[in-house]
Amino acid sequence: MATTSRARTHQPLGSQLRRRKPLADPKAGKASGPQLARTIGVFQLTMFGVGATVGTGIFFVLQEAVPDAGPAVVFSFLVAGLAAGLSAVCYAELASAIPVSGSTYSYTYHALGEGVAMFVAACVLLEYGVAASAVAVGWSGYFNELLLNTVGFQIPDALSYSPIPFEENTTGLINLPAVVLVVLCTMLLVRGASESALVNTIMVVIKLSVLVLFVVIAFTAFEGDRFDAFWGAGAAGVSAAAATIFFSFIGLDAVSTAGEEVKDPQRTLPRALMGALVVVVAIYVLVALAGVGSQPLEDFSSEDQQSAGLSVILTNITGTTLAGTILAAGAVISIFSVTLVTLYGQTRILFAMGRDGMLPTRFAEVHPRTLTPRFTTIVVCVVVSIVAGFVPSDYLWDTVSIGTLCAFTVVAIGVMVLRRTQPGLERPFKVPGYPVTPVLTVVACAYVAYGISPITWVIFLVWVTLVLSFYLFWGRHHAALGRAAEVDGARP
Amino acid sequence: MTIVVGWTPAPSGQAALDLGILLARSAGESLQVVTVVPAPWPVPSPARVDGEFAAWAAERGEVAVVAAREHLSQNAPDLPATCSWRHARSAAAGLDRAGADHQAIMTVLGSSSDGPHGRVVVGSTAGRLLHSSRIPVALASRGYRPGTATTVGRVTCAYRDDAGSVEVLQRTTAIAVAVGATLRVATFGVRGRTMYPPQVAIRTEDDVLAAWAEQAASAHARALAALDGAVEPHAVQTALAVGRDWAQALDDLPWERDDVLVVGSSPGSVLSRVFLGTTATKIVRHSPVPVVVVPSGG
Repeated sequence: MATTSRARTHQPLGSQLRRRKPLADPKAGKASGPQLARTIGVFQLTMFGVGATVGTGIFFVLQEAVPDAGPAVVFSFLVAGLAAGLSAVCYAELASAIPVSGSTYSYTYHALGEGVAMFVAACVLLEYGVAASAVAVGWSGYFNELLLNTVGFQIPDALSYSPIPFEENTTGLINLPAVVLVVLCTMLLVRGASESALVNTIMVVIKLSVLVLFVVIAFTAFEGDRFDAFWGAGAAGVSAAAATIFFSFIGLDAVSTAGEEVKDPQRTLPRALMGALVVVVAIYVLVALAGVGSQPLEDFSSEDQQSAGLSVILTNITGTTLAGTILAAGAVISIFSVTLVTLYGQTRILFAMGRDGMLPTRFAEVHPRTLTPRFTTIVVCVVVSIVAGFVPSDYLWDTVSIGTLCAFTVVAIGVMVLRRTQPGLERPFKVPGYPVTPVLTVVACAYVAYGISPITWVIFLVWVTLVLSFYLFWGRHHAALGRAAEVDGARP
Repeated sequence: MTIVVGWTPAPSGQAALDLGILLARSAGESLQVVTVVPAPWPVPSPARVDGEFAAWAAERGEVAVVAAREHLSQNAPDLPATCSWRHARSAAAGLDRAGADHQAIMTVLGSSSDGPHGRVVVGSTAGRLLHSSRIPVALASRGYRPGTATTVGRVTCAYRDDAGSVEVLQRTTAIAVAVGATLRVATFGVRGRTMYPPQVAIRTEDDVLAAWAEQAASAHARALAALDGAVEPHAVQTALAVGRDWAQALDDLPWERDDVLVVGSSPGSVLSRVFLGTTATKIVRHSPVPVVVVPSGG
């Protein structure tokens, strides 16, 4: 075994980094099992995008973003939404040109080669893994608020806050509810549970209802003069807030990958993307306007709003706990589903990497009883639980954004590269306004990324270095592509 | 050595007896056709209030035995068979004891009438036996008719890549060789539903299914290699059956009238009794052909 793996290093590193995964014959893949129908329309796809996006961050993000940007946080939402929308459009072209299933990682592997794919894999793993942790931490806050409001008991601080300090925030030993949530979701995933379109619709309705409840009640306490110093935090503040907010648009890219399922991608995809983006941005901006108008700016960074922020604002406005409790209950239910979906995404990306030989084959193993990748799911559970249990969410949000931003920047550049290198490639969906759109995407992503704090960049670079080192020392010797090339080479 | 058939003069009993005939003829065994009737009170009451009930029960037993003899003389005059009835607290307990008394190698039952035609429907007696039997239990699908088949033509082993399955496959192979039937190793799988919204891609579960299929195919190769020449490897058919649900997965395979499906019981069961796991239960429920459930480690 050792000798064969050494033999695989014969291909020079440069060409290994550039080697692209060839596309399988689309007809060959179709026969292997039951397939999905391709009948998604504009409305359905729009709801799909709204369902995938709303809820990842809006329940937690005001408390992080308002202290950075002040009232101009509304503008930050627009900037982040613009960057996310442009990215999704670029991603849609890449996804439609390459008919494979997978994440940004899979598309890059086919389009831009192994080296870039590993970089994108590092970004995407960070995105989903940390997003799952961050969402679980946010859930923990709303869960505690719900407990306090309904049974009058709260899990003690030592068991509901992480030990790592962030500014003046409360610390504890471990964020136990977050860990328990991740473990519960893992058990469901190992058993093969999945969320259906119906459950998704119910979750969307719950999320939107409680957000509308928030907006309506918060507007009753609206005072215009709270927007007086609109640009007080300056451009740097807006950019920093946009960076934090960006993660709340994660999920919009799910629409981009649906190109294969829709009848007329060139028409349907952009409409659905725009539709979803408009709905999501409208909701977010309304929540931000209502939130900022309802209480003084400094309240957003107060200790009691550190967790379950929106619920606490409602309680403060109404003076009773009823509205806050309803919001907390809605958040607890819907964020559970967000955690489940995000963890699922993470396991399937690792699974795809295992299939490609970038990770040990155990990651691509399907358990014969449950028919799910059990090993991968448990590994994800352990890592995400540790992050959720011990790292405060303030560090997590920006890390999610940076991973997503970098992955999308690569995608936008990839679209331009592919147009030059493979002009003849069939593209069922083409980016409108080429080459302005991809260039604008890169600029928008760069502007948002500019607001990310140096410490987050350091974390990101360390992580990328780790992943790339793993690739250099292990992955490139075991890549399935290398093995296939070897077999071809051995043939007379 | 013999095969015990749980008989009642009803369609389900008839299906069981037809299956019993097919199995006994294939294996060269005799048949014990047993009808279980309710037991009278163990302590005779002074006024013999249950005498009438006991007489009625005995009469039912006799009627059943006559009907069984008639069915046998019409359908299997060649087969050594004994028909009898016995008292028991429940049909399952009676059949269990009959199996022990006759040192049976298998108990054969019909499907309950409370389910779809052409599928195996586990009734209360079969359910109880599946939890307590120490010998394999064969279940005829509802309305089962062997047609022109006189012996078992093909034995399909429901194979899963785990330790329990290897043992079941070995036992199935021994049976297939003994009755001169073809062996087919089949693995059943259901396509997982993709999370909605999937975040990564709508077709992700197709990849999981593809990986599963590759694993199952190599598991088949390993399993056949481990049979150590008990059967010619090229004479064994292997199959992967996939569907959106278990019914579709079972229907994915071509089935013949003389097919029998062998399913192993849950590997974690106590005292090596037959006890169905969740997957096995689903396979049994949706099987269009008779099923033999064999206890693991028995």
